[in-house]
Amino acid sequence: MRSLDRLTLAHLWLSFAAFAIACVFGLWQMLARSPWPAPFFTPSNYFLSVTAHGSIMAYVLPTFFIMGFGYFTAERALDRRLPLRRLAWAGFGIGIFGVAMAVATILSGRASVLYTFYPPLTGSVWFYIGLVLVVAASWIWCAIMIVAMRDWKRANPGAPVPLAMFATVANAIMWLWTTAGVGTELVFQIIPAALGWTDSVDVGLSRTLFSWTLHAIVYFWLFPAYIAFYTMAPKAAGGRLYSDTMGRVSFVLFLLYSLPVGMHHLFMDPEHSTGFKFLQMTLTVLVTVPTLFTIFTISASMEIAGRLRGGKGLFGWIGALPWERPMVLATGLAFFMLWFGGGGGLINMSYGMNAMVHNTSWVTAHFHLIFGGTVVIMYFAIAYEIWPHVAGSPANSPARQRLQLWLWAIGMMVMTIPWHWLGLLGQWRRVAQFDYTNPLIAQWGPWVLVSVFGGALLLASALLFVWNLAQAHRRPASAVDAFSFARALHEHDRAPRVLNGFGVWNVLVAVLMLAAYGFPIAQFLIDDRPAALVHRTSGRAP
Amino acid sequence: MSPEDSDRLWIRSSIGVVVGVLAFGILSGFVIMPVVQGAQAGIDPWTAICRALGISPGSPAAQQPRSAASGVPVSNVIWSPQVLNTLSSAPADAGRELAVGVCAACHGELGVSTDPAQFPNMAGQSSAAIYKQLHDYKSGARINDTMQSVVQDLTDTQMAEAAAYFARRARPPWDVTWVRTAGPEADRLARTGDSARGLPACESCHSPAAAGPVETPVLFAQTPQYLSVQMRAFKSGQRRSDLFGRMRDVAGKLSEREIDMLAQYYSEMR
Repeated sequence: MRSLDRLTLAHLWLSFAAFAIACVFGLWQMLARSPWPAPFFTPSNYFLSVTAHGSIMAYVLPTFFIMGFGYFTAERALDRRLPLRRLAWAGFGIGIFGVAMAVATILSGRASVLYTFYPPLTGSVWFYIGLVLVVAASWIWCAIMIVAMRDWKRANPGAPVPLAMFATVANAIMWLWTTAGVGTELVFQIIPAALGWTDSVDVGLSRTLFSWTLHAIVYFWLFPAYIAFYTMAPKAAGGRLYSDTMGRVSFVLFLLYSLPVGMHHLFMDPEHSTGFKFLQMTLTVLVTVPTLFTIFTISASMEIAGRLRGGKGLFGWIGALPWERPMVLATGLAFFMLWFGGGGGLINMSYGMNAMVHNTSWVTAHFHLIFGGTVVIMYFAIAYEIWPHVAGSPANSPARQRLQLWLWAIGMMVMTIPWHWLGLLGQWRRVAQFDYTNPLIAQWGPWVLVSVFGGALLLASALLFVWNLAQAHRRPASAVDAFSFARALHEHDRAPRVLNGFGVWNVLVAVLMLAAYGFPIAQFLIDDRPAALVHRTSGRAP
Repeated sequence: MSPEDSDRLWIRSSIGVVVGVLAFGILSGFVIMPVVQGAQAGIDPWTAICRALGISPGSPAAQQPRSAASGVPVSNVIWSPQVLNTLSSAPADAGRELAVGVCAACHGELGVSTDPAQFPNMAGQSSAAIYKQLHDYKSGARINDTMQSVVQDLTDTQMAEAAAYFARRARPPWDVTWVRTAGPEADRLARTGDSARGLPACESCHSPAAAGPVETPVLFAQTPQYLSVQMRAFKSGQRRSDLFGRMRDVAGKLSEREIDMLAQYYSEMR
């Protein structure tokens, strides 16, 4: 009998099917911006495509992946049946309904507003309601994760919550904080505007509320990758996690410092003072700390594995690692891309240097490399790792899995390195087409063509990924060992209380948010500021 | 160390580190940086701190630039929620008397022009577009002897109501016996533009779903004669009430043949 985890399977398939479609849009957009002709090109089709690609990659792929992986983690890490399973299915139903509503609206051309919520441009209200339903589904997931951990702690008083689950709940709590910003913006500003109830909108306030969400949402996407680094990669490499405590500290730091930092997306905006921008930049710097902790801890864990496998000398352990295993290979490739993506990020978050790259392809390159590269390649690895336990049979052969991972990493580098360079040359993001006969920008052409080639590799890799996973369903069920997460080198009977729950951290998040966003938001309510007229893509006033 | 002591130490040091870093950020961003940079720019410390906090305007690190330039807009229309509200919620027949009594002589009682080659059809046009033109005639931003004298004594509300009246009339239908003649070249220009000449797609503003500038007219049901005359008026600069010279710029780049082609293309739009 096939051991199917239908709940996780449903979430992951929705996530990956949408992802493959969005990759097609992505490659087409690159053609549109290149010197080559793109079929069906019109500027309005381009913006429709960016909206579809961005909305799927930002809201559908990660949200449903995180939900599915979270349900899997809750059952396997806690070794208990998932509570409120029916509610979880209801959440999936709400989510899929929301996705259908949003995608249909985008494809009808009535919501070409990109995937960011920047009024005064507003699309059809069905687009926003669809996305609100996706968020509502994710809130159900958050509640179930919190309940699962609470129940487990009651049944195991004093015992440390397994790291994978601790991290998952940290992400759920962070997500609840995160969505408060965009949720407020949608409910009080954008949806009334889209419905025609209001004719003007305070753009400064909406940009501020969106910035509240904008950085933390990226960390919401990133959590599963880090969970895999800490709790899956060391085991796949045949070793142990160097430090469980370091993992807990890192996840807590992500919870703390992904939220009060979003104003680094508004460095060039006029509605905030330099002091608050500086403060949020300072807090942004701290986001690098958990990443550096992680690089250190995972490198140490890998070193343990490498030496256990006979690796000698200063770097000999690296070669001794079992790189043929997809999870190990993906971790290596993810770290490689993280160096470049993280380095670019340091430039983005620096108040002064940001001006240089603002609104250029550099920014697009940065988030594709970090999210599309480091994070999504770990989504692939996680899917391959858990597939036998979810689908009842392993994904396609490890060789095909490795081919897919290599294609993805190479494609992402070939695509984003030229984008970084083009950004420095001044190429704008979010522009549908360029006139390469203009001598001022003619030199961009070859770089853009190279990046299109990278995009083609990415699409090939995405399709191979889906095919690899689908192969499992064609095979008979196979017996697989019980799933387990990596064990720590030093296992403790207890964790410091503060690293086994989130009470203190929630208070500290509230303090940081009040300091970083209190006055910047309050000023819009204190001062009488000019509001912008709402521009609706869903049609003009009669 | 007992577990309780260890827990206490963890909590205290966690709070200490988080609050300490926050205090460092606040002190640097609101006090040290503005005071030091302000001093270099000749700004007193208190003003610099107030500016860094955002409670008084300006940069803490530079004097407010002064500008003597004063722009004179071509068009004086101000798009406020009140104006848009009047346009969208004017009583159904508020503008009828004016429309029937005055405008109908040329533009038709139902907004279908008596001589569409000369006078545009108004039925189904965007109310904001009609209002903008009436306002421009009144302020002298757009010149036409007849229209300027007609609108001279009208109030903003009257103009908005007349605009709303015509906007709600049904568009003139397409006669099934007509044959569409506009070719793919016009279609390409209208929907894609020509980036080599910096020509945006007409549809990026004129399509009903484009969310372009609020005053952009929707292009349909006009005669090719009327449309080409207007494009040529923009091209020559004779018509100059378009904000930022958008249409003067676009029409200036179109060839005579393209103007005729696009006029034909949009005359066949319904």
